[in-house]
Amino acid sequence: MKWYDRITSIDRRIIYMLLTVLVILPFFVNVNIPQKIMPQTQRLFDFIESVPPNDKAVMISFDYSPQTMPECHPMAQALLKHCFARGIPVIGLSFDPEAPGLALDALTRVVHEFDSLAAGKDDSLIYGVNYVYLGWKSGRIAAQLDMGESISGVYPRDYFGNLIETLPLMQKVNNYKNIAIVVILASADYPIDWIRYPQTRYGVKVGAGLTAVMAPQYYPFVQTGQVSGLMSGMKGAAEYETLVLEHGYARTLGTAETGMNSQSMIHILIMAFIILGNVGYFFSRRGKRKGTHE
Amino acid sequence: MSSDPWIWIGAVLTLMIFSFLYKDNPFYKFGEHLFVGIANGYYIVYYWQNALKPNLFEPLSAGQFIYIVPLLLGLMYFTRFIPRISWVVRIPIGFTIGWGAGLSIPAYFQADILRQLEGTVVTPATFSNPANGIWAVIILIGVVCTLIYFFFSREHKGLLGSASRLGIIFIMIGFGASFGYTVMARVSLLIGRIQFLLGPWLGFID
Repeated sequence: MKWYDRITSIDRRIIYMLLTVLVILPFFVNVNIPQKIMPQTQRLFDFIESVPPNDKAVMISFDYSPQTMPECHPMAQALLKHCFARGIPVIGLSFDPEAPGLALDALTRVVHEFDSLAAGKDDSLIYGVNYVYLGWKSGRIAAQLDMGESISGVYPRDYFGNLIETLPLMQKVNNYKNIAIVVILASADYPIDWIRYPQTRYGVKVGAGLTAVMAPQYYPFVQTGQVSGLMSGMKGAAEYETLVLEHGYARTLGTAETGMNSQSMIHILIMAFIILGNVGYFFSRRGKRKGTHE
Repeated sequence: MSSDPWIWIGAVLTLMIFSFLYKDNPFYKFGEHLFVGIANGYYIVYYWQNALKPNLFEPLSAGQFIYIVPLLLGLMYFTRFIPRISWVVRIPIGFTIGWGAGLSIPAYFQADILRQLEGTVVTPATFSNPANGIWAVIILIGVVCTLIYFFFSREHKGLLGSASRLGIIFIMIGFGASFGYTVMARVSLLIGRIQFLLGPWLGFID
């Protein structure tokens, strides 16, 4: 077998082994590959920075499933830290049936972290005052449109069964007029509905945190300003974590930033394999052509 | 190493699924079937508990008989299984299409066509920042050339052919970006699993 045939027929198990080693290596060896903040992530961060404290709320639609946790869960936690540190009330909800457990996990972790650092009861985060989780709702588009009239009409009770009007935060938030931005953290095509329906009808500002697979589909909406900011995959999550840390809203980085070193190593490996594959293909084609002429 | 049985179940199932990378085997099959079964069970219970019960059966049992209308429309879908009256299924389908089209067409026009067209408009104000101006012109050329590539009423020759070939380059760049992002997404999932195995299960990392 010629060398070029050999590099085009590497056993896939060797490739998987190399991938696994390169994913694990950065967790034990100090590899620091610098990451540049992308403009769309910066735009989302800047938008949240521009929201005045204790004024309008940020609505977060948790719409990702467990398999995409490595990408979307760090986004949720970084965004929640940013909002809570700036005193912005947060209203959570979900349209993906798999998401409520993950939304509660992100909220619980971040609230616990803030409360453990709080000097007293006044500094701690209170459910119903600083944040609310409304839960899952069927009939996504109808619910999104109806919330433009009245959120309590769509969600008469929150996830825990409390009547909406008994929650102090929800007494101040009636509809989208009291919402600064809706940020959709999604592993499926949920943000497009927010752009097409509530934004078109009520002018709702939309931000997004998406899995990397979906991100290219939303760049045209960022360019036109229909999406006010976008976190793309694990990289977007890592960038938001970095921004939150740099501005003093968090004490440590999250899991996305540590995962990005593995991500960069794998990208280098994949690029090397793409080049090797193409070189092998080029030479094997030339070899075959020569063989035909001879 | 974790002493939590749930972490162990998660770790063992992860390894079962990963075993497919070597070759298909009964452990992988077990993990796959278990996942499909649990996912189906979860969705059935979830929709019953959170959609059908509160939105249909509870209002009906409270005497709100207007809910008979959506119940009947829903039941009509099942007439597909009875050939003699299968035509009835057209009623709920017609209702769904009518509602969907009425709601979607104006929204699609506004969000996907008009606003996207606006995004390609180049005005003198676009050049207030020269870099933005250059990108705006590239976007305009990209949109026009890509549309020409999908214009089949005339043979792609001469100027039309050149523009069409440029359109292909833009499409290929789009595919390349999508492929790159897909690789990044899939690798992220692997990193997530490895973080779970090394962290909560084995305790090697925080």
